[in-house]
Amino acid sequence: MVKKISVILSIVLLASMLLTACGPTETQAPVAPEVQTVVIGGTPQVVYVTVPPPDVPEPVAEAKILRQNLGYSDVPTLDPSLSTDTSSIQIVEEITVGLVRLNELTMAVEPGMAQSWDISADGLVYTMKLAEGIPWVRWNGTEVVPVQDCEGNTRNVTAHDFVYGIQRTCKAETASDYAYVLAFALAGCGDVNNGVITDVNTIGAVALDEYTLQLTFLTPAAYNLNIAGMWVSRAQPSWIIEGDDCTEARGDRWSEPGFNQSFGPYALKEWIHDSSLTIVKNPFWPGMATVPVPQIEEIVFTFLADSAAMAEYEAGNLDTVGVPLADMDRVKSDPVLSAEFYQGFNGCTYYYGINTSKPPMDNVHLRRAFSLAVDRQALIDNVTKGGQLPAQWFCRPGMTACPTPENNPDVGIKSDPVKAQEELALALADMGLTSADQIPEIVLMYNTSEGHKAIAEAIQQMWVDTLGIKVSVVNQEWAVFLDTIRGVDTPHIYRLGWCLDYPDANNWLREVFAVNGSANPDNDGDGIPDGGVSWKNDTYEQLVVDAAVEMDPAKRLEMYIQAENILVWEDCAMIPLYWYTRNTLTKPYVVRTYSLTGHEVYEKWDLTK
Amino acid sequence: MIRFILQRILWTAVVLLILSLITFGLMHAVPGGPFSREKALPQQTIDILNQKYHLDDPLWKQYLNYLYDVLIPRINDKPATSLIDSYLINIKLWDKTYFRWMNFGPSYHSRSRTVNDIIREQLPVSFQLGVLAIVMALIIGMPLGVIAALKQNTVWDYLGMSMAIFGVSVPVIAMGPILVWIFGVALKWLPPSGWGAKPPYLLFFIPRDLSWAFWKHAIMPVVALGLVNSAIIARLTRASLLQVIREDYIRTARAKGLTERVVVSRHALRNALIPVVTVLGPMFAAIVTGTFVAETIFGIPGLGRYFISSITNRDYPVIMGTTLLYGMLLLLANLVVDISYAWLDPRIRYD
Repeated sequence: MVKKISVILSIVLLASMLLTACGPTETQAPVAPEVQTVVIGGTPQVVYVTVPPPDVPEPVAEAKILRQNLGYSDVPTLDPSLSTDTSSIQIVEEITVGLVRLNELTMAVEPGMAQSWDISADGLVYTMKLAEGIPWVRWNGTEVVPVQDCEGNTRNVTAHDFVYGIQRTCKAETASDYAYVLAFALAGCGDVNNGVITDVNTIGAVALDEYTLQLTFLTPAAYNLNIAGMWVSRAQPSWIIEGDDCTEARGDRWSEPGFNQSFGPYALKEWIHDSSLTIVKNPFWPGMATVPVPQIEEIVFTFLADSAAMAEYEAGNLDTVGVPLADMDRVKSDPVLSAEFYQGFNGCTYYYGINTSKPPMDNVHLRRAFSLAVDRQALIDNVTKGGQLPAQWFCRPGMTACPTPENNPDVGIKSDPVKAQEELALALADMGLTSADQIPEIVLMYNTSEGHKAIAEAIQQMWVDTLGIKVSVVNQEWAVFLDTIRGVDTPHIYRLGWCLDYPDANNWLREVFAVNGSANPDNDGDGIPDGGVSWKNDTYEQLVVDAAVEMDPAKRLEMYIQAENILVWEDCAMIPLYWYTRNTLTKPYVVRTYSLTGHEVYEKWDLTK
Repeated sequence: MIRFILQRILWTAVVLLILSLITFGLMHAVPGGPFSREKALPQQTIDILNQKYHLDDPLWKQYLNYLYDVLIPRINDKPATSLIDSYLINIKLWDKTYFRWMNFGPSYHSRSRTVNDIIREQLPVSFQLGVLAIVMALIIGMPLGVIAALKQNTVWDYLGMSMAIFGVSVPVIAMGPILVWIFGVALKWLPPSGWGAKPPYLLFFIPRDLSWAFWKHAIMPVVALGLVNSAIIARLTRASLLQVIREDYIRTARAKGLTERVVVSRHALRNALIPVVTVLGPMFAAIVTGTFVAETIFGIPGLGRYFISSITNRDYPVIMGTTLLYGMLLLLANLVVDISYAWLDPRIRYD
């Protein structure tokens, strides 16, 4: 009888312990374990049981929930093949993990789903060993659960899923905006993308076995790994996209809430379009040295305009916020807010392009005069006010193979009114003019926005003051503007910016200003650019092609320095204005990193509330 | 009456057809396309996108295809997984056979959603806000106008009309942030932004939960939108009532010995309502389809922002969808207004 009672008692105690341990929101006050003797089948066994002390109210710790704003408009999509903007990529990077990852503080390539890799002697073939046993998961309405196949086995992320994801990005019917990045780098992707070949198995992405992936690139480029890590090369769940025996096909809708499947440190919990998106800790993420198990249970993203987000932050409903320009002075002078303020790196450059084919801007001395005459520091201090850095060249320092102002202070161009006048004199002599007011009116164009307008007007005034050249400022609506600055009617000078896709100088100097680059289009395909800066320099073209495959970092840096000097000084095809900064407020209880990559790594954050 | 309504509905269809043609022509005439990006896409990628969405077809063909997709119901057997094949009405008749109607097309910007998805999820929010704002505008505006008219040139009149002028001249874009700052940031009584209802809704529009969780989000935007519109209603009611109250039949009513209350409520007010009802129609259509400014300031996930963002993004199907929806509601609201004239003034007959 006594035996029986002690067994029952122990079972009840064990059960109550288990039950309380399962309670999702309650955490227990630490209590000393009590030793109990349980007698099972006649043999006494010692079991450690923690018994909550009676009559002491337990402190109920709140689940760690981080509240963030993700910019004014809804996330356009969570489909890795179709994502193009920072907010889509932010979420995709949290709910999936790339083959490799960029360290958010050093921008170095680190292992992601690929735990190790071998590169062939010619630098073209990458054989990657993937992490094993990481399941696909989904939110079932109450919790995150692993995805099962038709036989009821857990579906793990395999090399086949990565091959499928890459193939889907390359396929023309997917119409992926960023397919061109893979098309330029990965063997076979370009031909599939433009429909020359329909067999997707010709693409240089092959699963050698469940967890071995082989990627074949077109050139032995230094940035191949970066491209393998981009969201367009992510594993995708073929069964929910195409359907299989036990799964209904969801096609292009597969990434929407209710259908979404993923495998990162977080999983999609809820997405009320235009209102909020919630991601929740994925309990099946095993954690890696580079992608740890998250500390924060849940992250709620809202979609608010800058000023509304600032109000929410001040009301205590957001944990971090970007500081709107209008609030900058107030934040800096407020004792509480200034302590929560952080100014850091942002991987973007703000610049003015020059249409080098449009007289009188076809004169290089005149172009240099315009660039030298801009007082970049005054512009930052009086107009943009965000602590931006005056830009001497195009590539944002911090990128691989980009010069930095500390190590290369004399690269590029610096504001210098005296030199500007000298260059102006040379230009006037070239053109056979005697004074600056004989120069026909120059047009400076920007897309309609208060911020761009203020910058354009300040610079317009600097040109009048320093050079005595009259410049008219014109604005156009965004999409109209984009058409204008890519056609033959590109105005003399126009505004644009560039932010990194991956942190390498190739993404800047080659993909933007080489012939057929983003700011230098060749619309008729004759090899001579006819829009944007409309500029071709054979030395520059050769430099950026050679630098892409140069393996010696010191030589590579030298080549890009030479290219920058051609771009901003020798030929002066563009006027670098400033390198962006980010201005952030963070509540003191948030333990965080300030990522350099353009998206945050929330699994390394914590809350100490 | 029935004949009149049927005739008007037929006209509505014709007007919508013309509206669609003009909108389609205008949006394609504007420079810039849906795939213009700050980071220029290679021509090949743009070609693939144009091909996917049939933007490489001649314009007349694109327009006819659009009308075909929207107007012509079809019965087919394939599951509609593609966003290009997404129908507002999608009824399973029997195994593998579906009745489908009204495909407004995919969004070029939100690549995993369609125009139908956007309207289905965002319109109810705008509708909830709009209906509450209109009710508030009527509750405040009408009595204010009546009091001002009956006590013309007294302190009540001046007080009422100063309030109305304040309402008209302080737009939501000014009142919104002030309300947010006072009640959201400084006093912390109300959440500064957001909306308290989420799908699914009862009867497509009514929030399931009408507790404080809903109202605490609704109060500020409803007050801001309601005050501005109540000012319009108050001024109209006052002007109209002042005119009616001098009519002969009001003098007759008074001469019959009716109480002032009956004279005003039964004879004067009913006739004075005609101009008010006239503005209520378009006001209702405009507010209920979403107001860009209020939704932006208060962070409300309504349809209003899509009227603007679809144009900046050149998201052609969303431009067409939102414009036609607004057009249809406007025409229907005006039809209801016309019908209500007959009730307000028995002299008006449509036969």
